[in-house]
Amino acid sequence: MRVWALLFFLVLGVWAQEKPASPPPDLSPEVFAIARELRCPVCQGESAAESNSGVATEMRRIIAEMLQQGKTRDEIKAFFVERYGEWILYEPPKQGITLWVWLLPVLGLALLGLGLFAYFRPKKPLPPELLEEAERRLKEP
Amino acid sequence: MTPALLGNLGVSLALAFSLLGLALSLLAYSQGDGRFLKGAKALVLPAFLAALTAFLALEWALLTHDFSLAYVARNHSTQDPLWVTLVTPWAALEGSILLWGLLQTLYTLLASRKSVDPWRASLVLAVLFGIQVFFFGVMATIASPFETLPNPPADGTGPNPLLQNHWMMAVHPVLMYLGFVGLSVPFAYAVAAMVVRRYQTWVGETRWWTLIAWGFLTAGKVAGMWWSYEVLGWGGYWAWDPVENASFIPWLLSTAFLHTAIVQETRGAFKAWNFAFVTLAFAATVLGTFLTRSGVIQSVHAFAEGPVGPAFLGFFLLVTGLGLGLLSRVSREVRDTVVFRLLSREGALLLGAFFFAGWALVVVLGTFYPLLVEAFTGAKVSVGAPFFNQVSAPIGVGILLLMGVGPILPWRRPRAEVFRNLYMLLAVLLLGTLLGLLRGYTFGASLAVGLFLYNTAAIFLLVREGVLARLRAGLSPWGFLENRRRVGSLLVHFAVALMGLGIAFSQTYRLESEKTLYRGQAWEVGGVRMEFLGVRALDEGRRFAVEASLRTNRFGEVRPRLHFYPQMNSPLPAPKVVYTPGNDYYFLLMDFDREKGEWASLRLIVTPLVFWMWVAGGLMALGTLYILWPAPRREEVRGVSPA
Repeated sequence: MRVWALLFFLVLGVWAQEKPASPPPDLSPEVFAIARELRCPVCQGESAAESNSGVATEMRRIIAEMLQQGKTRDEIKAFFVERYGEWILYEPPKQGITLWVWLLPVLGLALLGLGLFAYFRPKKPLPPELLEEAERRLKEP
Repeated sequence: MTPALLGNLGVSLALAFSLLGLALSLLAYSQGDGRFLKGAKALVLPAFLAALTAFLALEWALLTHDFSLAYVARNHSTQDPLWVTLVTPWAALEGSILLWGLLQTLYTLLASRKSVDPWRASLVLAVLFGIQVFFFGVMATIASPFETLPNPPADGTGPNPLLQNHWMMAVHPVLMYLGFVGLSVPFAYAVAAMVVRRYQTWVGETRWWTLIAWGFLTAGKVAGMWWSYEVLGWGGYWAWDPVENASFIPWLLSTAFLHTAIVQETRGAFKAWNFAFVTLAFAATVLGTFLTRSGVIQSVHAFAEGPVGPAFLGFFLLVTGLGLGLLSRVSREVRDTVVFRLLSREGALLLGAFFFAGWALVVVLGTFYPLLVEAFTGAKVSVGAPFFNQVSAPIGVGILLLMGVGPILPWRRPRAEVFRNLYMLLAVLLLGTLLGLLRGYTFGASLAVGLFLYNTAAIFLLVREGVLARLRAGLSPWGFLENRRRVGSLLVHFAVALMGLGIAFSQTYRLESEKTLYRGQAWEVGGVRMEFLGVRALDEGRRFAVEASLRTNRFGEVRPRLHFYPQMNSPLPAPKVVYTPGNDYYFLLMDFDREKGEWASLRLIVTPLVFWMWVAGGLMALGTLYILWPAPRREEVRGVSPA
């Protein structure tokens, strides 16, 4: 019983303010799929699906409720964007300032590809006797 | 003698020996005098011993609960179990730098035993001593593990509970540091090669170090993934978190280097690429430390923050400047003059290296983008897992494609019979993908099945070819196993294909569901039926545990837990993971009835093929070890001359 009493105080002390008394609602796989794409606003780089903070728990509850009301995935995400700004979305929107983060990899890889193409483009080969010489020298210890 | 005194003495001596060693080795090079080199070499062992003394002093302080040390007061408590105490030196910033410095002195010691010509030997030592000067300089000034407190507390808080929850935390950081430090040796040899303008041999001479570094980085990454899976309680292994990215970048670049190095060793080409890749790979280890330890980013893994950010940033710029500066000076001399074909072994290796380097570029971009946007416009943006997954998928497919054909292609130009093999492999790829689609998998997952079969078939072809060639020559087919490089690399490649399959399926098909159950109530989800029997509390000294009992129809009784630590204001779920070859069943206790224990909120995450990812991680380490394992001596064989 000592354990229970201690535990009770522990829980009261640290958790009372952020936990409702009633059990949390049931969450379907779809709730988690949506929550995974949203940032937990008070956490250090965790999504709303993973975090156990009060805010994330509340976000999951809201998502579950909105799904029950028949809202779509995009409507739910839009709701959170309105509340917290686009920062809440883990997938940066392909517009505005975050468009560049999508474009730059493509540009970078294209540049690398061009460089590679130049590298493999048939150059004027060495005369065969020089080529043989080079091979021979390579084999020297 | 107190631990603080001994520790400070160790750090100061290590710094002094390293400074002196740096000066002597530079003198040895500039004066061309072997006596200075001898002097520098004589300082390698004392520097290691001084670093070891400092490290042991920290262990001593932890074991004797010496809370007058700030590090001990912050990261240790008398309640800690022995194993936690022993691994606490790498639970926070200052101790981690000490461990890093210690491993650096150890590697310098090992690397200095290899005899090369005195010019390069002096330069290699100068670079390695220079790195040591940086680490011990940081410890002596801004991040001292032996800083003392004027009013020591009676007891400390202990290390971050996340770090105490799994034994993997004892292993993962050490593996990572062993990998990071390992890259310093090839880097030092590369610098020496560029200074003395002897560009060819360094790659072969440091092959062992490159492989060791790669092996440890790989093992460290997989260990970290496993820790994340078992401890963080979210049922995933990779979140594209900045800290994960920071250690992924050196892994990507060292993988690129590992592959282009083969071409230089066998064909003498790609010298410039190798200088660039080794510099970037080593610099990336330093950049990663800057990223994760400077507080510029938010992360679940940033356990150690401190004032070392600018120092590491400066060191990163120094390393990059040194490597790339030297490269630009000699770039005309290391240019490739030979003609390359894309459809050749070297073509595939270079293209593969480019995929890895491009991937590193993408990861750097995504990780730094929010920082840059915030720095320049003040706006907050997030670049998270959905971005990285979408960009990485095509790169990963490219790498898996090349991994199959690369070893099949001969050097220089493809022979006619090679095309037959290529067509066959292509057919396997198409059939495998089709099979996946017919089974109703998504396109991505089907492609992963195709790529796995394609790679397995490629490996089968190569083994068959090797064994047949030996049989034709009248040799025992088992001799094929003596070709350690080939066999080991094929094993690693197979493991990578298996890992790819695991990643594709676990990312595509993941079922996550949560439900509140009352006592005696049953829940059927994801093919499991579980009945909630009740909760009980356990007093474990340094923490409280609440354990829920579930009776399942397939795995007997399962008991997920919640751990309450006095220093954490929310409980940590300790999942119960049931590994099976098909699906992993991940049971989590999320919440419970605090008054009567009548109900509990339970989460079940079912993820396919994760089990095989850990198998793949083990195979990768095993394959690397197989290549590194010293071959039996063969003097007798060589003694028989064919004449």
